[in-house]
Amino acid sequence: MSRGEVLLEVRSEEIPARMLEPGVRELATRVFEELMTRGLGPKEVETGYTPRRLVLLLHGVPEREADRDEQVMGPPVRAAYGADGSPTPALLGFAKRCGVAAEELSRVSTDKGEYLAAVKRIEGRATPAVLAEILPRVLAGISWAKTMRWGSGEGPWVRPIHGIVALFDGAVIPFDLLGIRSGNLSAGHPILSPAPFPVDGVDAWRRELAARQIVVSPDERRRILLSTMQARAEALGGRLVDDPALLDKLVAICEIPGVMEGRFDEAFLELPAEVLATSLRDHQSAFTVETGTDGRLVAGFLTVMDRADDPKGRARSGNEWVVAARLADARFFYGEDRKAGLTHRAEQLHRLTFQEKLGSYAAKSERLAALAGAICDRLGWEDEREHAVAAARLLKVDLATEMVKEFTSLQGIMGGIYAREEGHPEALWQAVYDQYMPASTEDRIPRGRVGQVAGLADRIDTLVGIFGLGLLPTGSKDPFGLRRAAQGIVRIALEGGLALDLEAVAAEAAGLYGDRLKKTAAQILDDLRPFLHDRIRFVLERAGYAYDEIEAALVAGSADLPDLRARVDALHRVRASADFLSVVLAAKRIANITKDAEEKPFAESLLAEPAEKALGTAFAGLRTEVEEAAAAHDYERCLHRIAALAPALDQFFVEVLVMAEDPAVRQNRIALLQAIGRTVNRTARITEVVVDKAEARAKAG
Amino acid sequence: MQTLQDLILRLSEFWAREGCVLQQPLDLEVGAGTMHPDTFLRVLGPEPWRVAYVQPSRRPADGRYGDNPFRLGKHLQFQVILKPSPHNIQNLYVRSLEAIGLNLADHDLRFEEDNWEAPTLGAWGVGWQVMLDGMEITQFTYFQQAGGLELPAISAEITYGLERLTMFLSQSRSIYEIDWVEGIAYGQVRKQEEYELSRYYFEVADVAFLSQQFDGHEREARRCLEAEIVLPAYENTLKCSHLFNVMDARGAVSVTERVALMKRVRDLAIACARAYVESREKLGFPLLARGAQETEVADVAR
Repeated sequence: MSRGEVLLEVRSEEIPARMLEPGVRELATRVFEELMTRGLGPKEVETGYTPRRLVLLLHGVPEREADRDEQVMGPPVRAAYGADGSPTPALLGFAKRCGVAAEELSRVSTDKGEYLAAVKRIEGRATPAVLAEILPRVLAGISWAKTMRWGSGEGPWVRPIHGIVALFDGAVIPFDLLGIRSGNLSAGHPILSPAPFPVDGVDAWRRELAARQIVVSPDERRRILLSTMQARAEALGGRLVDDPALLDKLVAICEIPGVMEGRFDEAFLELPAEVLATSLRDHQSAFTVETGTDGRLVAGFLTVMDRADDPKGRARSGNEWVVAARLADARFFYGEDRKAGLTHRAEQLHRLTFQEKLGSYAAKSERLAALAGAICDRLGWEDEREHAVAAARLLKVDLATEMVKEFTSLQGIMGGIYAREEGHPEALWQAVYDQYMPASTEDRIPRGRVGQVAGLADRIDTLVGIFGLGLLPTGSKDPFGLRRAAQGIVRIALEGGLALDLEAVAAEAAGLYGDRLKKTAAQILDDLRPFLHDRIRFVLERAGYAYDEIEAALVAGSADLPDLRARVDALHRVRASADFLSVVLAAKRIANITKDAEEKPFAESLLAEPAEKALGTAFAGLRTEVEEAAAAHDYERCLHRIAALAPALDQFFVEVLVMAEDPAVRQNRIALLQAIGRTVNRTARITEVVVDKAEARAKAG
Repeated sequence: MQTLQDLILRLSEFWAREGCVLQQPLDLEVGAGTMHPDTFLRVLGPEPWRVAYVQPSRRPADGRYGDNPFRLGKHLQFQVILKPSPHNIQNLYVRSLEAIGLNLADHDLRFEEDNWEAPTLGAWGVGWQVMLDGMEITQFTYFQQAGGLELPAISAEITYGLERLTMFLSQSRSIYEIDWVEGIAYGQVRKQEEYELSRYYFEVADVAFLSQQFDGHEREARRCLEAEIVLPAYENTLKCSHLFNVMDARGAVSVTERVALMKRVRDLAIACARAYVESREKLGFPLLARGAQETEVADVAR
């Protein structure tokens, strides 16, 4: 009984960590799909990888394809028989090729006329033959992030290939891939167990690799590395500092998941924990160990080695030597920076270019101070103003420090630490520390109001400056990170509740550039508005609002984001009510009727018919209430009040003919509808709300 | 105790046995062994080539007046080119480490992705930084393009950082403490030079003069190209490249100028690369025939 077991192992030179997971996933998916279309779907698919091998295991693959019948088209009927009705040579030749008698052919009508056809029995191929065709094609076609050539131009593939094991129930599936012949020989670790060994199936292959301590499953390596490192961290008297991205990397750079534990001189603990962690992570791919809750570190680190043990302590002494050198470097930078002080570093900002045409970071710092002050003024945040202006001036100073030149990922954080050490108030140093937050969709916004103002000022200045040069991001090209900056603006304004006219702030930011920009403030705003709208949509959709709710509210104004969200939220809550549906339908009708009409005031005295008068009265009572509710940002009340207008509107449209013969009456009716339309759209352009057609018909009926 | 010159001798001996031409350093200032014409030009075209040499490599901006124990403005690279890259190249490399006295069964050796790109040479490649017990000891690159040209035969480039490797093998705390030869420390040979070069590159160099020289060497390179003498053209290109690095270290290059100067060097390098391939083609790619014969011999031996 066949187990239908496929073992594929491709051994190559070290594949980059970031490409392994996507590569093996593509391999498995494509092979699976190819087999499925041939009726050879496996019962189980298993994958694995190490830096030097890609692995695909299939279980329960059928032994061969099913036989199938295929129709083969022959000559047209009119060419198949002679004048006397006897078969022509064309017909006989076709029948012979198909291996059937002429009488066995059937007639098939097509749009080109009637044809003769034969049914041909096609015998299913044996699975190994199918795999011998599929596997090299899929392997060669994996879309690696970057490929290379080697030798005399072999490739392209991700790295040179050294061996392929391809077995079906223990028998070799024969094929060539980029000059390498498949077979049954695997090999172990290139230094510790390099000798090749034959395998006759999955079990033997697993056994042999296990004997060489090689773990092919990345999940298994992750489990081993994490649990070992956690235990070691505890033994060191602390706990492992969480870093999923680093763990992913360690999993992908070893095939024997060994943990390397090292120590460093306690004296280095005088360095800020952020510096120690960054140096150890960036230079040494190492985890740090934390004690207590205050982020203090212990003088040890944990990383991976591609071997199970370190009998002579060489791996450890080597790593410790490198770490000591790196930390000595970091301590040197830290000392130099503290000796110089932020004031001195600030003097160097004029030598650092923010953007070629937009000038230096010194100029940017001055603009940020002015803009932060202006934002506080608009918000009425008098108590925060002084700190916000001071923070804005300090914001970019750490770009001139040795530490940030060495570890750019510490920008902001380092300035915050130095500001704290120099005794600046908490609100101020935190603003500097948090300035790049949120760095991702999961990240939080700056802690305090001062930080939020500074973060906003920095991003608005950047966006306005770059847009002012006409350098809008296109497609995947966004070298200044403007999308992330815009997203930061949206999230800070929304989550910080900054009730602020952002367009006015942007115009002010443009003014602060003087004559450096190529575009006017108005032109910049025209470009910036849709760009920000994209980010607003993204953020609000993630918060669970519907696309049409967001659109409707955006059209009614997007300068003040907390206000915008209040409007979207009100719309979201009210839209399900029956009255509101009437208003939507009425609004659409109003929009249609009034779309080409000039804006005119309406005269109550000209209202004649009862339904018309009733609407005029209902509207008069409602208008002030709606305006009051809107002024209080209570948009749900706004919409409910408007919804209350529904019966009067419905009545009006049933009983009153808007297009009256008398032009004065006609115009007055249009003017009434225009006035109602304006009030209805105070919260959101109601006509943008998508109405379920069935629901609308039911209502209309 | 491992000395710097032990390392040079053993690496030279090892790669000489693999059929490499033991070349000498280029007698011009360059930023890396890659810029030696025996790498940059020889990797072009279809001709096979194996070479190994030490190249003093100048990075003016990395100078630290001899104060920093880990950084140098001028360091030594041991450069190996095998073209086309043989199938067992990684294994050869591992054996070269054994040849300098490492018993790898006791160590952790890993190849981590690190791609190489030299925009001023119109060159890039893919490969790794080789990590020995957590220390980067070698850059390993498969050249994919040079001088803006696709390469019909791929070269494997192996670059050992000699000071760092020696430092690591002897677990020294400072570059200046490693032994050049027993009894003479690296610092005794080079520390004053590091100090003086740093002073020159950061304080003394006359920018106006450097800039003039840059223009002059660029002109000269163009004249040589017109005269169809590629190597002098390339040497003048290297002069430009080094002068640019000095001006940059001196803080005399603005962002705009930087882009423009790099482009001028790049244009020359690309012109030299094309001219070189043409000149070798005119000669009938002389090393090609020899390579073919060797391959046949190797096949018979196998």
